[in-house]
Amino acid sequence: MSLDLAIFVISALVAVFGATMMIFQRNPVASVLYLILSLVGQAVLYVQLGAAFVGAVLIIVYSGAILVLFLFVIMMLNLRSSADLGEPSPPVSRFVKYFVSCLIFLELSFIIRESLGAGSTTSAGIVTMADDSFGSVESVATLLFTRYLYPFELTSVLLLSAIVGAVIIARRATEDELPPQPEKAVGPISQKTNEGQE
Amino acid sequence: MDFQLPPYDLKMMLPEIFLFLWALVVFTFDLLTNRKKETAIGYLTLVGILITGVLLAFTGYGRGFGNMFFNDPMARFFKIIFLGAAFMAVGSSFGILKQRIRNHRGEYFGLILLSTVGMMFLASSQELLSLYIGLELTTIPLFVLAAFYKDDKLSVEAGIKYFIVGAFSSALLLYGISFLYGMSGTTDIVQMKINLAITHLTFTNIGMTLVIAVVTMLAGIGYKLGLPPFHQWVPDVYEGSPTPVAAFLSIGSKAAGLVAFAKIFVNGLSAFHGPEMLPNDWGQLVALMAILAMVLGNTVAIWQTNIKRMLGYSSIAQAGYIMIGMVTMNVYGLSSVAFYMFAYMFANMGAFAIVTVFEDKTGSTQIASYRGLSKSAPGLSLTLAIFLLSLAGIPPLAGFLAKYYVFAAAVEKANSADSASWLYWLVGVGLITTVFSLYYYANIIKQMYFSREDSPYKIPVSAPAMMVIAICLIGVILFGVWPEPILQFAGDIPASFGFIAR
Repeated sequence: MSLDLAIFVISALVAVFGATMMIFQRNPVASVLYLILSLVGQAVLYVQLGAAFVGAVLIIVYSGAILVLFLFVIMMLNLRSSADLGEPSPPVSRFVKYFVSCLIFLELSFIIRESLGAGSTTSAGIVTMADDSFGSVESVATLLFTRYLYPFELTSVLLLSAIVGAVIIARRATEDELPPQPEKAVGPISQKTNEGQE
Repeated sequence: MDFQLPPYDLKMMLPEIFLFLWALVVFTFDLLTNRKKETAIGYLTLVGILITGVLLAFTGYGRGFGNMFFNDPMARFFKIIFLGAAFMAVGSSFGILKQRIRNHRGEYFGLILLSTVGMMFLASSQELLSLYIGLELTTIPLFVLAAFYKDDKLSVEAGIKYFIVGAFSSALLLYGISFLYGMSGTTDIVQMKINLAITHLTFTNIGMTLVIAVVTMLAGIGYKLGLPPFHQWVPDVYEGSPTPVAAFLSIGSKAAGLVAFAKIFVNGLSAFHGPEMLPNDWGQLVALMAILAMVLGNTVAIWQTNIKRMLGYSSIAQAGYIMIGMVTMNVYGLSSVAFYMFAYMFANMGAFAIVTVFEDKTGSTQIASYRGLSKSAPGLSLTLAIFLLSLAGIPPLAGFLAKYYVFAAAVEKANSADSASWLYWLVGVGLITTVFSLYYYANIIKQMYFSREDSPYKIPVSAPAMMVIAICLIGVILFGVWPEPILQFAGDIPASFGFIAR
């Protein structure tokens, strides 16, 4: 058994193990941790396929940012076990969940079957085949800073507006900035009636 | 590995860059003056928009960044609409700055400018990636603007609703775009058109993947435009958000969605239009949405008691009329859409400006509180009546010509080919629902003029708001009787989309 195969088997097993354990955990925090484990396994698979950049992004963005955010939310809501999540969902919504899962499974297996062997002629000749540098940091960076420089720079404007917006939404108003309060006592959210203050 | 930058020409995007920098100036000015000069900052913003307009006039046609940035007649026409909408939204915001918004005034105006920058970039993008980022840049400041009354439950609700719907629809659009990229191997719209045509010819049937792409992208853009069945957010957001923001949403955001639609569907997927292209036909799908929009928007608007909600439903209906022009894939289609949007801008911004002025004074947006307004504020009532009649499409106002050109374009197309006869249905529904729409527009006029009660309100109009109302009034009347210059300008648009007059 070659080293390549050994790494593949181990990381694939880790990924599948993590994904399975994630579903069966009763504790949401443990569930998120298993999801991170699964993603790490998937990242190794990407690196092995030569897409080092995708692997790194998977770890940085998903494990690093999004799931840590999840963890914060779960801890902030103080969910210790599934009992804290409230009532079990009604049968209809459970049916929808299973239905959608089956649909995604079928879709994935269809795509995999199509893309294996002779079935992979869909729109051939137009999609350029991946070469060795596909998915590497260099090839992504080259595209990002030459051909796609314009959208890349545009993103910075987008981020600026998002930061400004987030500050406005999150910041608490100081005393002198509050609008003049009506005479009647109001809570933190003043109930402006729609009927107009005639 | 050799690195080659695409040839870039920053001159082409001078207006956008200037407006972006001006937004930063507005932010900073507010901080430097200790957030005290609320009127000065408004005028500063207006001046910035005017200068951008002048710069736009001196920027020629051409491409700016490889193939990515494109200044064509369509881009220029819609940039004028975006700047006009921003100008009028800012101009009618002076009242709420005095009363409601005590903090973040600079950010309020700066975000309007940033959103406008996004729209302008969107109008010039010739490629799916920058188109998507432009659309995001348009909507993200609008989420914040919708929730700008942080102490008002309705406004916060509007902000959250708009945020969730907006994020969801962007995700859907991006999902569809990723399918298109997968099928064509490029994000350039013109190249994509060619590649898809080759694939379609080679395999004769491009299959279900394009159907998924079309449906998800239609849903994404449908949310942005407020086309049924993706319209539920519109009235709630219009009602809750600050009135000038609602006005800006109804014109700027809608025009941005239209541009995105025109670029992706009318240009990129132009081959997949018409009943013979089933199941990949997007034309009839959009026609269905347009019919739903006209019927639903115009009928539900009748029962509204809040004027902002009513204008929200009216904007759903107007989107339906505009989509008639979009699915008419001939020389007149796109130019009629552009003219419609131009005329709609004046009428709708004007109506919203008067609603804003009225709300500033009375705090009410109920239709009932407009009773007898003609006695206490005759000038304002008359102008509001003119704007509403233009929205309904009564000659000789601009709204009538707008509807006329859209219907005429569709009839011309339906006459030209048997396979396009389904467009007659669209025009028929449009004509019937226009009659419905007259009812709820005229209802407000009835309240103002034919009510026995006397209105207790004297409505003071500030100078900037007066200016906005005057511009809108002139636009609605002038372009109703003399539409030639706009028509000539709009007539250039279809050529850059490949529609050549026979």
